[in-house]
Amino acid sequence: MSDINFIPEPEEPIPSLSVSNNQGILQWISSVDHKQIGIMYLWLSVLFLVIAGIEILLVRLQLAIPNNHFLAPEVYNQLFTMHGTTMIFFVAMPAIFGFTTYLVPLMIGANDMAFPRLNAFSFWTTFFGGSLLYFSFLAGGAPDAGWFNYAPLNEYNYSSSPGIDYYCSGLLFAGIGTLTASVNFIVTILHYRVLPMSLKQLPLFVWMILINSFLVLAAFPSLNAALAMLLLDRQLHAHFFSAAGGGSAILWQHLFWLFGHPEVYIVILPIFGIFSEVFPVFSRKPIFGYGMVVGSGVAIALLAFGVWIHHMFATGLGNTVNSFFAASSLLIGIPTGVKIFNWLATMHGGAIRFSVSMLFAIAFLIEFTIGGLSGISFAIVPIDWQLTDTYYVVAHLHFVFIGGTLFGLLSGLFYWFPKMSGRLPDPRLSKWFFWLFVAGFNITFLVQHALGAMGMPRRVYTYPDLPGWGILNLISTIGAFLMAGSVGLLVFILVRAIKKGAVASPDAWDANTLEWTTSSPPGLKNFDRVIPVKSTRPFRDYKRPEDADWNRPEGARKHEGKYIPQNNPHGK
Amino acid sequence: MKSLFYQWHADPLIILMVMTLIYLHYRKSGTSTIKSRFCFWSAIGLVLITTCSPLHFLGMHVYFSAHMVNHVILLLIAGPLLVMSIGTKPSAPMFKKISLFLHKRSWPAWLTAVIIMWCWHIPFLFDRSFAGMSGFTLMPLVHAGSMLLAGILFSWPLVGPFPELHIHPLSGIIYLATACISCSLLGLLITFAPIHTYQYYLETGAAMNGMRSNPWSLTPAADQQAAGLVMWVPCCFVYMAGCLYLLRRWFASQEPNFGRDASISLSTLMTNHE
Repeated sequence: MSDINFIPEPEEPIPSLSVSNNQGILQWISSVDHKQIGIMYLWLSVLFLVIAGIEILLVRLQLAIPNNHFLAPEVYNQLFTMHGTTMIFFVAMPAIFGFTTYLVPLMIGANDMAFPRLNAFSFWTTFFGGSLLYFSFLAGGAPDAGWFNYAPLNEYNYSSSPGIDYYCSGLLFAGIGTLTASVNFIVTILHYRVLPMSLKQLPLFVWMILINSFLVLAAFPSLNAALAMLLLDRQLHAHFFSAAGGGSAILWQHLFWLFGHPEVYIVILPIFGIFSEVFPVFSRKPIFGYGMVVGSGVAIALLAFGVWIHHMFATGLGNTVNSFFAASSLLIGIPTGVKIFNWLATMHGGAIRFSVSMLFAIAFLIEFTIGGLSGISFAIVPIDWQLTDTYYVVAHLHFVFIGGTLFGLLSGLFYWFPKMSGRLPDPRLSKWFFWLFVAGFNITFLVQHALGAMGMPRRVYTYPDLPGWGILNLISTIGAFLMAGSVGLLVFILVRAIKKGAVASPDAWDANTLEWTTSSPPGLKNFDRVIPVKSTRPFRDYKRPEDADWNRPEGARKHEGKYIPQNNPHGK
Repeated sequence: MKSLFYQWHADPLIILMVMTLIYLHYRKSGTSTIKSRFCFWSAIGLVLITTCSPLHFLGMHVYFSAHMVNHVILLLIAGPLLVMSIGTKPSAPMFKKISLFLHKRSWPAWLTAVIIMWCWHIPFLFDRSFAGMSGFTLMPLVHAGSMLLAGILFSWPLVGPFPELHIHPLSGIIYLATACISCSLLGLLITFAPIHTYQYYLETGAAMNGMRSNPWSLTPAADQQAAGLVMWVPCCFVYMAGCLYLLRRWFASQEPNFGRDASISLSTLMTNHE
C-alpha cells in the first residue's frame, strides 16, 4: 500500500495541463496544495467574470437605446439576476478566497493550510455550486428574481421555472464551501504561524482575513437557513415566506440582509487588507496606524450586524425603526473613513512608486470614496425613499463593488502575480489596461447617478424616450464595452506573461512580508527556512538590519513623520 | 397629575442596596483613587436615576422604551463602573476568589448576564414583574439588583480589580461580540414582536385613558419598537466601544519578548487558559 501515491504531488511549482500523466490536469484536480487551490479559485473567478460580463453586455445592449426589443423581458430578468448573483458569489468571493488561500500560509510562514483536504473541499464545493447555478439555463430557465431574490417573487406562484431552485441549491453549496474555508483560515492563522510571529506582528492582510472569517461564520448561516426555507417553500409547500399561508414575505428580506449587509463587508475587508500591504510597499514607508487599521476592521465587523435594516427603509417598517438605522448607518462611515486616512497618511512623505498595483490603490481611494458618499446619502431616509430601486443604487453599488472590491483584487493581482507565476506582466500593456478599465468604469457608472436622480428605475427591460435617458444610457453602454475590452486585454496580458513574460525575482517589489522571502513561484513546502520575525515587516528587517523596525528607538517608531524612506536606508 | 419632573420615588430596599454598596466600597474595595471614586459615584448616580428618578417613573408607568433604557444603563454602564471602582488592592478576599474563578471560567459570567437579560423579557415574566412592583415588595430590589448583578458579573473578567486575572483582550473581544449578538437578537425580537406580546404597557395606557403623561406622544407600537431598538442598536455601539477599548489595551500592553508568548490560540480564545 505504501508505494501507492493517492494524491500525486506536483514536481513543478505550477503543473502543466497535460492529460497523459499525473502531473497535469489530474494533479490539479486532486491537489490539496494551498497554492494550486488558490490559483484554481482565481481562475474560477476569471471564468465567471467573463460569463457574468457577457450577460451584462447583453443587458447593456438592450438598454443602449429607448424602446429596444433586442431581449425579451423574461430573458432580461434572467440575465441581470445571473449577473448580480455570479458577480457576488462566484467572482468576488472566489477571487478573495483565492488570494487568501494562496497567501495566508505564505505570509505567516506556514507550509500549508491547517486542513488541506477541507481546503480542496471548499474550492470544489464552490465550483459545484456555481456549476449548479448555471445548469439552470439547461434545466428550464435561470433564476429571474434579482440577486437578492425577494419574496414573493421567489415563490413558486411567481416563478414556476426551476431557476430559483437552482439558485437555492447552488448558493447553499457555495455557502457551505465559504463557511468551511473560513474555519480553515481561522485555525491556520491562530495555530500555524511561524513560531516567533505574534498576532501584533501579523501582516494586515492576514488580520483582515481573520476578522473577515469570523464575520463569515456569523453571517452565512442566515443565508443558508433562508435558502433552505425557500427550498422547503417551493418543493414541499411550506409557508415561510408566503403571506397567504401565514408566512411573511418580509422575513426573507430580514434573513437575506442579515447576511447581505455583512456580505458587503465580507467582500471589502480583505480588500482593505490588500491595500494595507500595497500602500506601505509602494510608498516605501510603514503603514500609518497599524492598530487603527485593525481596530477599525473590528469595528466594521461588529457594526455590520447593526445596520442591515437600511436596505429595507422602503418596506414600511416605520419611522422609529428607520430613525435608529439611519443614525447607525451614518456612523458606520467613520471606521471606513479612518482607514482611508490611514492609507493617505501612509503615502504622505513616502517615496511612491507608481506601479500598476499602486495605481489601482490610488484610484480606489477616489472611486471608493465616491461610492461611500453615495452610500451615506442613502442613510438619509427620505433620499433613500426617493432613490431606492433607481439607477442611483446601481451606480452606488458598482462604485463600491468595482471601485472598492474589484480595484483591490486587481491591485492585489498585479502585486502578487510575480510571486504566483514567477513572471512579470508587461508594464506598458498593464498601464494601458489600468487606464482603459478606469475610464470604462467611470463612463459606465458615473452617468447612472444622474439617470437614477432623473427617476429611471432599475430592472426594467426597456424605457421610454424621455429627455436625457437615451443618451445617458448609450454612454453607459459604450463604457461597459470599453470595460469589457480592457478585461479582454487583461486576460491577454496574464496569458502572455505566464507564457513568455520576463522572469520575476523572488522579491519583485522590495517588499516587507514573508511570502517574498521564498522563490517565485514557491515550491511545494513554501519555505526551506523562515527568517526571524521581530516586527510587522520581517523581510525588510532582514534586508536592512541596521534600520530594522525592532531595532529602532521607541521615539522614532512613534513619530513616523521622521521615518527614513525605504529607498534611502542610511538617511543620506 | 404631577409634572413628570416631580416623579421621584425612593424604594426603601433600593436605598438599602445603595447604602450597602457605599459601605462595601469604603470598607472593602481597597486603595481609592480619583478614578475609582469617579467610577463609583457615577455608578451610584446612575443606579439612583434608574430606580428613583422620573426616568424610572417613565419606565414603570409610561414607556416600554424608557424601561429598556433603564436596563441598558444598569447592565452595561452602572455594573461595569462599579467593578472599575474597586481599588487595586481590595481587602476582602472574596474579590480575589471571584477574579480567580472568573479568570478560569468566564462563560458562567457571560451566561448569567445573558440569562438574566433574556428572562426579564419573557412576556409572561415581564408582565408579572410589574404586578409585583406596587407596594412594599421585594420586586424592585430583585429587578434592579439582578440587572446590576448581571452587569457586575459580566464585566468582571474584563475590568476586574486584578489586571493579571483579566481574560486576554482578544478573548474579551469575542466575549463582547457574542454578547452583542445575543443582545441584538433580543432587541430584534422585541422590535418585531406583535403588539400584544407585552401586555403591561397596553393595559396601563388603556387604564389611564389618556391621562398618563405621554410627553412624546408615542403610540404603543412605536414605543415597543423603540424599546427593542434601544436594546439592539445603541447596545451594539456600547459593545463595540468595549471591544475597541480592549484592543487598545492589548496594543498598549508591553510584551517581554517578541514572540509567541504574546500570541493567542483558538483554545485560548474560547477557554481563557492563557
